[in-house]
Amino acid sequence: MTVTQAVFYLMATFTVGASLLVVLARNIVHCAIALVFAFFGVAALFILLDAEFLAATQVLLYVGGITILLLFAIMLTSRISARGGKIMNEQVGISAVVALALFGLMVYANLKGFPALVPPMLAASDNTASLGRLLLTTYVLPFEVVSLLLLAAMVGAIVLARREQGKD
Amino acid sequence: MSPQEMEIAEDTQETMEEMYVNMGPQHPSTHGVLRLLLKLDGEVVTEVIPYIGYLHRCHEKIGENRIFTQIIPYTDRLDYLASMYNNFGYVLTVERLIGIVVPERAEYMRVILGELQRIASHLIWLGTLGLDLGNFTIFMYAFREREKILDLFESVSGQRLNYAFYRIGGMPLDFPDSFLADCKAFLEWFKPRLPEYDALMSDNIIFQKRVQGLGKLDAKTAIDYAISGPMLRASGIKWDLRRNDPYSIYDRFEFDIPVGTSGDVWDRYMVRRIEMDESVKIVEQALQGLPPGEIIGKLPKKLKPPVGDIYTRVESPRGELGFYLVSDGSEKPYRYKVRSPAFVNLSVLPVIGRGCLVADIVAILGSIDIVLGEVDR
Amino acid sequence: MATVSSETLMEQFYNAFETWGLPLFVPQLIVMVVVATAVLIFVAVSVMFMVWWERKISAHIQVRFGPMRVGGWHGWAQSIADGIKLLIKEDIVPEGADRLVFALAPMVVFAAGFAAYVIIPFGPGLIVSDLNIGVLFYISISSLTVVGIIMAGWSSNNKYSVLGAIRSAAQAVSYEVPLVVSILGVIMTVGSLSMTRIVEAQQGVWFVIPQLLGFLIYMIAAIAECNRLPFDIPEAESELVAGFHVEYSGMRFAIFFLAEYANMFTVSAIAAALFLGGWHGPLLPGWLWFLLKTYFLIFVMMWLRWTLARLRVDQLMNLGWKVLLPLAFLNMGITGLILVLRG
Repeated sequence: MTVTQAVFYLMATFTVGASLLVVLARNIVHCAIALVFAFFGVAALFILLDAEFLAATQVLLYVGGITILLLFAIMLTSRISARGGKIMNEQVGISAVVALALFGLMVYANLKGFPALVPPMLAASDNTASLGRLLLTTYVLPFEVVSLLLLAAMVGAIVLARREQGKD
Repeated sequence: MSPQEMEIAEDTQETMEEMYVNMGPQHPSTHGVLRLLLKLDGEVVTEVIPYIGYLHRCHEKIGENRIFTQIIPYTDRLDYLASMYNNFGYVLTVERLIGIVVPERAEYMRVILGELQRIASHLIWLGTLGLDLGNFTIFMYAFREREKILDLFESVSGQRLNYAFYRIGGMPLDFPDSFLADCKAFLEWFKPRLPEYDALMSDNIIFQKRVQGLGKLDAKTAIDYAISGPMLRASGIKWDLRRNDPYSIYDRFEFDIPVGTSGDVWDRYMVRRIEMDESVKIVEQALQGLPPGEIIGKLPKKLKPPVGDIYTRVESPRGELGFYLVSDGSEKPYRYKVRSPAFVNLSVLPVIGRGCLVADIVAILGSIDIVLGEVDR
Repeated sequence: MATVSSETLMEQFYNAFETWGLPLFVPQLIVMVVVATAVLIFVAVSVMFMVWWERKISAHIQVRFGPMRVGGWHGWAQSIADGIKLLIKEDIVPEGADRLVFALAPMVVFAAGFAAYVIIPFGPGLIVSDLNIGVLFYISISSLTVVGIIMAGWSSNNKYSVLGAIRSAAQAVSYEVPLVVSILGVIMTVGSLSMTRIVEAQQGVWFVIPQLLGFLIYMIAAIAECNRLPFDIPEAESELVAGFHVEYSGMRFAIFFLAEYANMFTVSAIAAALFLGGWHGPLLPGWLWFLLKTYFLIFVMMWLRWTLARLRVDQLMNLGWKVLLPLAFLNMGITGLILVLRG
């Protein structure tokens, strides 16, 4: 067991544990905070794969953006002392079947595709530079389309959030 | 909303959208024990309800049980930041009721001390307004200047804050020998300070953006609510009792009356700021013209005014300070009422505070310049 | 301290462990712990100095003296006394507060502030880890502070704390954007995110001259990120809502305080590295220049705090989104244009 393997198993356990907390915790803010830990775990896995730009972007966008958005939404809509929502609902049976089926499918696909443990393929050059080059040459069209999509989303959010009284 | 509805509403907090928030009575920015109930819609204030009375000390009832001279120390504690002027207004009322003539020197002394008190009161207002808006330094500077004025007052009366220095018929003590030189030195020190404050406050774009256009009070509303003092002048009405209803010897002095245009916080700030310049002018003229002579007129041992009533008003730093005395011929007044400017000016806060943001309430309250001692009596 | 000798030292250190039969990660771990401790001690001492210095600067601006007695000369031990006082205070947790999150929040805020010290180039070779995503790492980690603030505000079980936390978070998130965009000009010029490469590229001209607009925007956004006046609405004592850390006392409050000053040092250090030439300077050793530049920027931040009034929350948002952000994009655009034209 190399150090890389040990760290990988540690971070994977951490991520899975945090993700379980997200769905199992009673208090919704605890769920959000566990999500932060899960995102950090994923970022650590990215670093193990030598994708440091992705790791930093993962933290920046998911922790610094999505989680804060979630927390804002929770705080602005629920009461301060809101505790204990229901974790399970009536559709537990069906969803268990679906989840297990999906899990089985993914395990099969992984074992078929990667039959043996291989060390990760490490990047040859600076991650950020090569990603940037790719985004602006080969994938420039999807890049621009995505930015237009984001612009549309932003405009839509502003329009939705405006009050009827017409705040400036 | 009735008080009962208000009490119930305080307990229900539905969402973050609309809630009742309490400011005070213990709060760094309410200038005393004032409680403001704010109804918030997000960040916007939809209603302001002031609750007063936390400092009520039965001033007027006490006055009914004291002889006229004994009421003077109580008047200090009305507007404790402008004590000299409270004394001034009160003794003027009694003198007019009885018909006493005050000697010239005493009149000049009264004006000098009164205008110095106006500067000191405006300095506190300036410092605390800056402090409320986050500018800690102006607070220190303003209080440094005020300390010098308080030193002058201490040399004259022995007291730093509640002087009880005016007497019915004149003044109790003459100025000490060093007073003239000290006062002139103070004025020389003070005159270049005001442009310094401008650099910190008036010329600072952050301050301007915070206060311009805020808390507008138009002239008609101001007159309807019986606003007086710098607040009234900021709304465009040129009414200053020192000019329009002169008392003492104010008609002998040359000074301007600053007037604003829109009645927002910025105009009130500029009016008080320029008033400080004008008070300096008045003090200089009074010091020049100070005649020698008696400082108190001849008075009987027991002061018994004729039966009747009188209302006299003076232009205190906060506005029209009025005293209403009803005498039944005895040594004690039958009825003694104080018309305090801060109390009346505060009543317009629900009108001008509506529709602004939470942070602006602090600025607007600072611009009204209240002293709870006067509001509650 | 030249880089060559430290490398040979490290090699000898690792070789020693190899001869003892231990795998490589053991000495690496030991080095990490030692370096982390050194940085922690530096942060603690630096923060204590800054607290004392702030009191002195505020005092002299306000025509008074500040601490004069504790420890003798100009009250230099005042911070130590304050620290001890905060340490021995009673630990009060409000009733109904979420104990776990309440305890975790200051740790998250401090961890985020402390982690940023990994990429600060104190001098040539004096950097904890020269990541090749240096600046991006700092930006990512600083967004964790906001999560900590929200945790602190929410867990206090106090409606005003929640309001203060929301405002603080909104302000921090709003000013992160112009902060990042203003640095982009520098990054484009250098062509790398690595802190040492950026400092080394300033051998000739410091970036503050070609990137003056970027520098100004960065400083304004940095002051807003640190919740300092004129952007201190979330912490304002004389405003209605007292702030997200109102329910914290004793050591927990001290950690928030520490994190705020550590954050001030970090943003100033990054400004010094990105715009003011980092460790470059005549005569004096590199690390001394770096510290001088950083503390000069901190001095400017403190000077502004005690001179200006506070911006209202909507004016603050206006400034961030409608003024700083377009200017930052303009700066980025012009820099890009010049780089393309230069070939």
